[in-house]
Amino acid sequence: MNRTVLIVGLFLATAVVGVLFLGLGKDPQRIDSPLIGRTAPSFALREAGTGDTIALEQFRGKPVVLNFWATWCAPCYEEHPILVANARRLGSQAQFVGVVFQDTEEKILKFLRDRGSAYPTVVDDAGKTAIAYGVGGVPETFFLDADGTIVAKHDGPVSTELLQANLVKAMQR
Amino acid sequence: MSTRHLAVIGALLLTTALPLPAQPDPPPAPHVPDASQFVGQPAGAPLEGAALDRRTSEVSALLRCPVCQGLAVADSPAEMAVNMKGQVRELLSRGYTEEQILSYFEQSYGQFVLLRPKFEGLNMLVWLFPVIVLILGAAIVWVKVKKLEKGPARPPVQAAVAEEDPYLARVRDLVGGGKP
Repeated sequence: MNRTVLIVGLFLATAVVGVLFLGLGKDPQRIDSPLIGRTAPSFALREAGTGDTIALEQFRGKPVVLNFWATWCAPCYEEHPILVANARRLGSQAQFVGVVFQDTEEKILKFLRDRGSAYPTVVDDAGKTAIAYGVGGVPETFFLDADGTIVAKHDGPVSTELLQANLVKAMQR
Repeated sequence: MSTRHLAVIGALLLTTALPLPAQPDPPPAPHVPDASQFVGQPAGAPLEGAALDRRTSEVSALLRCPVCQGLAVADSPAEMAVNMKGQVRELLSRGYTEEQILSYFEQSYGQFVLLRPKFEGLNMLVWLFPVIVLILGAAIVWVKVKKLEKGPARPPVQAAVAEEDPYLARVRDLVGGGKP
């Protein structure tokens, strides 16, 4: 009997430790997007400053870097110059689009005036676009191929290396 | 018909024959991603009034607020959660069912957004493990009790030892005045 209890106890303890090991070994902030490999949800939103409607579909034919950000997000200040520099460097090879949510147009325009801009920034008023893309916190960046399929997603501020690696992935498809 | 009339008719014909200047494409109509892109058309009846309020709370209670620590969308004051709750309400008012709405959020955020894990894959452990442990515990207790019931009754060793213990006998003698 004691031997049976020992074996069952060891089995249960191993199972619990295994589950905890698997769970604790993961970064809880990093959640793989189920949208990867799927067509990016379609949207047409108002551009900050001009009021023009910018549709995601109008950029079909080249890779798109879709960056969700906000002026109240500290890491967004860190990554903005990197995004602007890379958008300028890549020119027509890739299209960068900023999507701002939970923010005001006044603050967005001041941010862009102070820190420069090289690509359109659209306003997601009710946050519905962010919800459709499964955005939890900002910044989050999606990389779309020329067909509009999401090939990668990054949570947190981007670096030049990360942008290049994911754009290569987007261009290879 | 005068020459002047002929000239006017000729000018009109020439105008209609000429290709029109290319019109620029009309600007795209503003829109946000719609649930129909994920889960198709509504499969239920549109809700309104008190029923809409009640179902909004119920369905929002099944969704995790992505920017909170373990809070349901229904309970969180975060702007993201408020937006999600608003979307749940809108979808219910359009006739989307609870299953469709949960599926829509799951397709955007993954299973992380569901507060009640689905009964599939590793998730099954969450549901089955407590039951398995309970059954095993009950089985161990049952076997132990059965064994105790079947086992031979042990003689009252302690009592016998106590009777023969000379020190205890001496104490009894002292306390009881030597009476047995």
